[in-house]
Amino acid sequence: MEKVKIDVVRTGGKRATFELKYRKGMTVLDALIEIREQQDSSLAFRHSCRMGICGSCGMTINGLPGLACHTQVSELKTDRVRLEPMHNMQVVRDLVVDILPFFDLHRSVKPFLMRKNIAERDGSDREYKMLQEEVGRFLQFDYCIMCGLCYAACPTAALDPSYTGPQALAQAFRYMADPRDEGWKERIDLLDTSHGVWRCHAAGACSFVCPKDVDPAKAIQMARVEVLKRRVLGKKGRAGSTLITVTEPASRKEGTKAPPFDFPQGDGR
Amino acid sequence: MTEAKRYKAGLLPSLNPLGFNVERWSYALHRATGVILVGYLMAHIFETLQLSGGSGAWSNTMNALHSLGPLEMVGLWIVAGSALYHGANGIRLILNEMFGKLMGKPILPVYPYSPTSLGRDQRVAVWTITLVVLALWVWAGMYLLAGLGVV
Amino acid sequence: MRGTMSDHPNSLMKESWSMLATYVTAIILVFVLTFHLLLESPLSGKSLDATLTFGAATNNLTYYQVVFGLLLLTAVIHGLNGIRAIAVEWLHPKRFRLVLNLIIVILMAFFLAVGTYTLVVVG
Repeated sequence: MEKVKIDVVRTGGKRATFELKYRKGMTVLDALIEIREQQDSSLAFRHSCRMGICGSCGMTINGLPGLACHTQVSELKTDRVRLEPMHNMQVVRDLVVDILPFFDLHRSVKPFLMRKNIAERDGSDREYKMLQEEVGRFLQFDYCIMCGLCYAACPTAALDPSYTGPQALAQAFRYMADPRDEGWKERIDLLDTSHGVWRCHAAGACSFVCPKDVDPAKAIQMARVEVLKRRVLGKKGRAGSTLITVTEPASRKEGTKAPPFDFPQGDGR
Repeated sequence: MTEAKRYKAGLLPSLNPLGFNVERWSYALHRATGVILVGYLMAHIFETLQLSGGSGAWSNTMNALHSLGPLEMVGLWIVAGSALYHGANGIRLILNEMFGKLMGKPILPVYPYSPTSLGRDQRVAVWTITLVVLALWVWAGMYLLAGLGVV
Repeated sequence: MRGTMSDHPNSLMKESWSMLATYVTAIILVFVLTFHLLLESPLSGKSLDATLTFGAATNNLTYYQVVFGLLLLTAVIHGLNGIRAIAVEWLHPKRFRLVLNLIIVILMAFFLAVGTYTLVVVG
């Protein structure tokens, strides 16, 4: 590939096409920066870390949500790259969307550890200890970088602007599964609403586009099971004690050594 | 989100699975077949109500349906396919949503990523359902469309 | 700050109960609907036209009244709950969620009444 054409949907639905010389290893973000530096300095887009950790550069790339810094032009298998703002969000300018409502959704599920004893939480002189297998129950969901791609991909989010969204629901489950969290009752009520966990239909588009393999679809289905257990079976207590056991939990007896623990790993591709 | 205009949001975009994973396609199909089935259910309840009017009322109803010509059987075939797909996929969704099955366990992500919720178990279920439903739908088509009556 | 669309604090029915109804009716429907389709299929030994005669239809409703009653109940609940879910997502009613729920309940009652009337009269 010698040249690459970048079609950008700009403010007001106008399309602008830019042609660049392709360089091996060029990412979509590289192309956008080059366009802004050499062709059109008015092109607006977000970016920061350029290494797939900040979540700023989310946009729709050839019809699918993706991080511009994480998407090689060559992996798109075409010399025509079509860029649009992320779906399901209000456009501010060009490829920049209003991400604040998305952050509001995240805030609404109380994404922080809730402890009953506030004095102990704030004034403790020691850390909360967890077994490795307890960490393993929620660690995957902790890798979320809040890029918004899952929300952009979600069909329910497209239809229902009040839907909590896969990112927020996955984070709600992350805290439910955290053995240090004591706010399970409040979280169940937050999830069990008309626009909460029940509006997910397991389409899996969120997990399909997630750049960090947070797998929000899995977290949401696990959250539903927890909600059902509490509403129907009347089960009490935090989710961590009822989740899939990764290994046999070690005895908590003082002085007992935990057996060696291997995290189950993704098999990659 | 506010009611302000969100980019490419709405009913049609929510049902457009182009480029996405097969589970998103099955979501769109599940929704479409569900609506078809609810429409058919309401009509079917009124159709069956004619039985209470005696054989005359029932004959009139059947004649009215037969007057639709091939549309009657084509419509029934579409409803049959909808019922087959919606039921079979529904079983998969019950396993996913009510029991958390086929989703895999929490893992430590290893690049290149492959979400377990879209992994082997899920794909085997999706494609098994698709193939079984297609086979049954073809059989139903032979029965309804080709006028093959008795086995 | 906009957040999750919390239901009214005194809502009599949490969404989880209505979803449980959807799931339970779905499981039952798979069995009763399979039974219903098998009755009308070539596997019953009759042709399609033969299964649609007045005698055959009324016989089925009479002999399998309970099964058809269960089919009616589960199909109406499952179907209209599904329509309610689509309506909640598409219309996302803020102040009129109760109205939507009432409409759905009334529709359920209506179709259940019509179907039950048929079952009682024919059976």
